[in-house]
Amino acid sequence: MEKKNNQNKSFYSRREFVKDLTVLSTGAALGVSPLTSLAQTKSNKTGIVRVWGEPGPYGAVAADAMNEWAASNAPGLQFKIETLGWDSVYVKLMTDMAAKRPANCISVESPIAMQLMAQGLLEPVDDVVKKIGKSRLVDGAMWDYWGAWKGKQYVVPGHHQPHLLVVRMDVINELGLGDPDKWDWNDLLKAAKTISEKKKDMAGISLALGRNLCTDYHFAALMHSAGGRMFDQANQYEVIFDSPATVEALTFIKELQPFMPKAAVSSGFLEVTDSIVTGKAAMAFYWGRPYGRAFEENKEVFKNIESFNHARNPKTGNRSNWNDFQGWCIPKLNNPYVQEVKDALTYYQNSKKWQIRYAHSLVPNVGPVYKDVYTDPEFPKNPIFEAKKKTSMTYYADSLKYSSSTANELLKGINPFAGIVHGRSILAETVQKVVIDNWKPEDAVKWGHKQLEAVRKEHIALIM
Amino acid sequence: MIKRFNKTSKIASISHFLILAAISLLICFPLIWALSTSLKPKSELSSMPPTIIPKNITLENYQHLITGKAQYFSADLAYKANSTPPQYFIGWFLNSFIVSFFSTLISLAISTLAAYSITRFKYRGRKIVPYASLLGYMVPSIILVFPLFMVMVELGLTDSLWSLVLGYVSITLPFCMWLLWAFFRGIPIELEEAAMIDGASRIRVFITIILPMAFPGIIAAGIFSIIVSWNDFLFARVFMNSIENLPLTVGVMLFFEGVHVDWGLMMASAVLMTLPMAILFMLLQRHLVAGFGAGAVKG
Amino acid sequence: MLYPVAEAVRMSFYYINPLMPDGNRFAGLENFGFIFQDRLFWTSFYNAIYWTFFSVLLQTIFGVGLGLILHRTLRGISFFRGLLLFPYIVPTVVIALCWQWMLNPEIGIVNHSLKEIGVISENVYWLSTPGMAMWSTIMLNVWKYTPFVTICVLARLQSIPLELFDAAKIDGAGAIRRFFDITLPQLAEVLAVVIVFRTIWTFNKFEEIYLLTRGGPGTSTFNLAIYSFEQSIANLKMGVGAATGVVMMFILFIGSLIYLNLFKFEED
Repeated sequence: MEKKNNQNKSFYSRREFVKDLTVLSTGAALGVSPLTSLAQTKSNKTGIVRVWGEPGPYGAVAADAMNEWAASNAPGLQFKIETLGWDSVYVKLMTDMAAKRPANCISVESPIAMQLMAQGLLEPVDDVVKKIGKSRLVDGAMWDYWGAWKGKQYVVPGHHQPHLLVVRMDVINELGLGDPDKWDWNDLLKAAKTISEKKKDMAGISLALGRNLCTDYHFAALMHSAGGRMFDQANQYEVIFDSPATVEALTFIKELQPFMPKAAVSSGFLEVTDSIVTGKAAMAFYWGRPYGRAFEENKEVFKNIESFNHARNPKTGNRSNWNDFQGWCIPKLNNPYVQEVKDALTYYQNSKKWQIRYAHSLVPNVGPVYKDVYTDPEFPKNPIFEAKKKTSMTYYADSLKYSSSTANELLKGINPFAGIVHGRSILAETVQKVVIDNWKPEDAVKWGHKQLEAVRKEHIALIM
Repeated sequence: MIKRFNKTSKIASISHFLILAAISLLICFPLIWALSTSLKPKSELSSMPPTIIPKNITLENYQHLITGKAQYFSADLAYKANSTPPQYFIGWFLNSFIVSFFSTLISLAISTLAAYSITRFKYRGRKIVPYASLLGYMVPSIILVFPLFMVMVELGLTDSLWSLVLGYVSITLPFCMWLLWAFFRGIPIELEEAAMIDGASRIRVFITIILPMAFPGIIAAGIFSIIVSWNDFLFARVFMNSIENLPLTVGVMLFFEGVHVDWGLMMASAVLMTLPMAILFMLLQRHLVAGFGAGAVKG
Repeated sequence: MLYPVAEAVRMSFYYINPLMPDGNRFAGLENFGFIFQDRLFWTSFYNAIYWTFFSVLLQTIFGVGLGLILHRTLRGISFFRGLLLFPYIVPTVVIALCWQWMLNPEIGIVNHSLKEIGVISENVYWLSTPGMAMWSTIMLNVWKYTPFVTICVLARLQSIPLELFDAAKIDGAGAIRRFFDITLPQLAEVLAVVIVFRTIWTFNKFEEIYLLTRGGPGTSTFNLAIYSFEQSIANLKMGVGAATGVVMMFILFIGSLIYLNLFKFEED
């Protein structure tokens, strides 16, 4: 659509909104909606369907897929992607919800999607699941992981993305540090220390320690590996954060801190990616994004990086990663296009061409979720995949058995408070109390425990 | 202004001039550096030592902003992402312009009429209004933003440029009122009375006599209002939702939260964002200084 | 204008979650209790005071100094005076971006220049070290608003009758004596007004800090405005945010009382 048109649209958007509302209510009044859910009949609606996604090319791919559906089934609609920066995901989402103007289709960090789900702000999508095919998911994954609550599914899987241990193999081999796949926490610490000492302008390892989502996710993986959790979903979601396991994880971060880049205390997604791609750090916890960036910006680094499942916790043997089971959810509020979004999503999920394109847009960051995508002959035809087959499959398949999430701790059950916890950066602040303010890990954990209890108390309605 | 020329301190005056130049440079340095960065190609951005004048001057950053370059890389080279923040830049520019224009217009209209009526007509409470306005000016926008936000939600105006216009009017009105009140107070009533005795209607008097005399004040208030509207971040951040409806201030911050930061692009956007203000400023700076002087120091 | 303020006060007595409006309920003084118990609130408060104090101090010193220098020079004075207001008209967003770029530890110009001159030997992490971050935001604030002080000072200086200076020179008073005995007293009134004014404004500034550091690293550059913002939106407790706002307004109120008294004093 012409950019000029959009300008006029923004100016008169209130009228637009009223117009759409009229259309919707007329449609409802005529009882059209129940009929359209039976078959993909054409829709006469016009307007822009706002689609939200993370920074990255894949959201746009999804929007294009949905536009392809719209071209033949709802020619008056256009799906438009908007990307939400990580720094402000929670704030922007909440502002938009409060303004009663959320996007019409959202793909966001799963803990946040699950918070919306528990708050009753999302449309159930069981009909979409049925049309996609319940048994299509890759082995080791269940539909619930993406978002099911009280018996209904609310999130359509988009992809899954764990963070793993990204390693510069040239540095590891040069210093004879062994096989990262066999490491435990002590080995990891030793490796970081050795690298920092032997390599002058390289930090041993890079983790996020800033007050942001990335820190939350990095810390959560370590906490889960040690066996700690925030909430006990089997016991009314009682807060069990204050535990020796959590303290152990926090202490480990403190031990790693001297071997991290100097600016680590304010680093987040961007900085950690940067540190690996520009060669400032030899190891990092990260999702697949560095491969794409290194492929474009720094072929030297690209040649040498590989990813492994995390180092095992010496006591428990766990190597949990934080996996963003990210999917598409549909806000109920002020959403005149619910049925169209559902149909478009169904089309897109069932189209292997688009599923592959989605995955290919950022290898190996976005892991395909349906079995048949992996077996499609087009699937391996991607330069990054071909260069890094083992690493890519680790991200895509091998990591699933160790996956965990703050919204589904150790995959024992969905926790609706996670989004709020992330919104308040409670985990990140706990980490910061130790790495910036030099608190003792035990005290920091006690503080975090109190914050989590406050969250649970304020939002107890969510679990009733 | 009293000028003083002392023959024996020619050296002193030259040195003063140099100091002045140095200070001006220091003040404008961030923008100068931004301009320099924006003209550098990507490869030169991180080269050491950084130079003020780029080795290779390139306009590609500006080009990308104006034509809308896709910000993300993609290894699947056959497929190009087509919707990234830089592509909305022109739209944001227009939004800022529209919002600034209308909020200034409305603010000036109301404050001019109000100030006029306060100084010319007698009614209760007229003495407090200027001081109350000044007080209103000092309330920081953070306190107002959320109540106003709730109002906008009620009215269904969120995500529309009108919400910003209303918001900015409410925060610029107090100061404009106060400034214009100070100006109007200085215009002698006798002029009007003379004209009205001659048979001119009040409106005619207002337009032909008062307005021209209050012109400096109106300009100063107008500039103030434009600056506030163009530069604001907080209101826009809270009131607006869709990416295409954002004004420049919030939009540009979106570049920063992506996959990697393209400093050349960001500096180019910084320069383009400041340019209208700078131009406006250069043209009208005398009035602004006069307005400030009058408003802030005089009674 | 009055309505939002009144509404803000009303909101401070309620528990408001904008996402679930059915849960809104009257909370009495609960919100105030919350903030006064919150360690972060007091950190923000202390930070705000620290920040305001040093910002205003530096703005005053530089502002007066600049005013004195500008007062002397001859040609192009009006041009320079106009140029001085430049920082004021630049959008805060732009200046925050520029400063983030310049303060970049590895490829920013500031670290590079300082290393060239030899003031520092290693890269300084301006925005990642808690103490430095505070000072970085102070410097930004000083950069932006010192000219404002200068303009006011300048306007006042230019109305001091030259005869006073001539008389003092004839009496044999040196430049420093002249400053303290003549200039400063004349400036005192204006300075008092400007200082109070700047203090009120600086105390409640949101954008300058938020856009540069988001209140980080950690929460070391949080001030009351940022605290209020975070509580309202990130924590979805608009009541608490509003309560913070009420506290801020209260402080503002006291400040403006002082201002008005000075104001009236000047009129007389």
